[in-house]
Amino acid sequence: TRTTLTTLTMLPLLLLLLPAAHGIAQVGPPPALAKKQLEWVTTATTFVLDQPRCVFRDYGNAVIWLVVAQDKDAFNNSAGPGTPETAFQSFPESVSAYMTLNATLGSYPCPKPAGEITVLRVGSETSCTKDVSRPTCNGPLPGPGPYWVKFLALEGSVPVAETVWSEPIMLRTAKSPNSLPAAGSGHSAGMIAITAILSILLAILLAALVATLVFCGSESCGSSTFSKPESVTVRRYNTHHVYDQPAARL
Amino acid sequence: MAKSDDCVHILQGLLVFGNVVIGMCGIALTAECIYVVSNPHGAYPLLRATENSDIHAAAWIGIFVGLALFALSILGIIAVIKASRTLLLVYIILMIITFAFEMASCITAATHQDSLTPNVFLKQMLERYQKSDPNNNSDNEVTKTWDELMRQNHCCGVNGPSDWQEYTSAFRVTHSDADYPWPRACCVLDAKGLPVNLDGCKLGVSGYYNSNGCYDAMSGPVNAHAWGVAWFGFAILCWTFCVLLGTMFYWSGIEY
Repeated sequence: TRTTLTTLTMLPLLLLLLPAAHGIAQVGPPPALAKKQLEWVTTATTFVLDQPRCVFRDYGNAVIWLVVAQDKDAFNNSAGPGTPETAFQSFPESVSAYMTLNATLGSYPCPKPAGEITVLRVGSETSCTKDVSRPTCNGPLPGPGPYWVKFLALEGSVPVAETVWSEPIMLRTAKSPNSLPAAGSGHSAGMIAITAILSILLAILLAALVATLVFCGSESCGSSTFSKPESVTVRRYNTHHVYDQPAARL
Repeated sequence: MAKSDDCVHILQGLLVFGNVVIGMCGIALTAECIYVVSNPHGAYPLLRATENSDIHAAAWIGIFVGLALFALSILGIIAVIKASRTLLLVYIILMIITFAFEMASCITAATHQDSLTPNVFLKQMLERYQKSDPNNNSDNEVTKTWDELMRQNHCCGVNGPSDWQEYTSAFRVTHSDADYPWPRACCVLDAKGLPVNLDGCKLGVSGYYNSNGCYDAMSGPVNAHAWGVAWFGFAILCWTFCVLLGTMFYWSGIEY
């Protein structure tokens, strides 16, 4: 019975496994920008992903590749890395996706140690952008995107596991500095206050000067408070002269 | 009669005191403006490159105005004590002319300070930093000044490293975005002037690059100079205004 039971239970299991043997296992979370680890996850030609830690645990023999695509539906998992169909240098004119950043599971130990920044910078290799002998170059992205990425695990040349495609990744576009507003067009309150107050003071001074000259220029000013002490000051001058004259005579 | 005598004496005393204060402030203004002229702050080459060095014009005027105020205050003291109409009239007219010059200096300094917004420096930096034209001296000065500013103050750009990402620049033309998301001077440098961790700097990991902008470090000295010249001059002028009104009143009361 046991055997019958096992044969009976084995049969549906075998039926289930058969299609899986022809397909690829879908693992782990989709690749994502490393927003939790870093502040600058995209620039104009690069972006930064979280490393696929603890995602391909069961595939110790596989080499894990990163697929970067502009058209995710056009990518065929059977395309091999390092071939002209997946060469970085032909992206995006002739091919719609390229494969790069290969690593073995040893590069992504699980679990991730706390406090370490574990990221993959896509687009950091600038030396091989035009070098066709390096089709797996991790070169700078040619435009703002959008790009989709996924990780693909290959054993030999057979794909065994993959993640789902990521969310579309848009890179930054830079504005021209001509879009900056023209230089210094505002006037602060302080500057307006200084200008206004000083202009008023100068105007008052000039008016007072003109008034003083006009009214008191030729004749003495009659009605000022000095008019009474004027006679006193005249007397003082007189006494001064009175003293001086006898001295001069002598 | 004695009371009117006293009034005259009080007025004379006040005017003499006012002139003494003007004389001392004149000396102080001259000293301050000499300091501003001879002590350019680190960002001065950038100001010169923006063709906006009004603060220097204002400071030079301030030097001569200060000396004139000192000389005129001595003349004023003599004129008040002697109660001489002609001397006082000369004093008043010359003081009004000096007032006008100092007014020009104050307004220039205040306007200059207003015109130095962050965008002025940002535009200049984006257009001229590392512009690869070896013949243009002023561009090289801009580059050298910015490099020194960023290294000494541990800052990057005007508002931060985002300046280099948000805008295209002359720097971006010669330096690829993947290798140089921002200039090397924005990285934390060791004693030899090399980045401590180049990958960390390119990724923007805090501790390996300078994440704050240089505008605060630049605008501090610039504003201090401008405010020193503008507002101190304004204070002197207010005091001078009062003394001049008093002098005119005194003059109108003197007999021939």
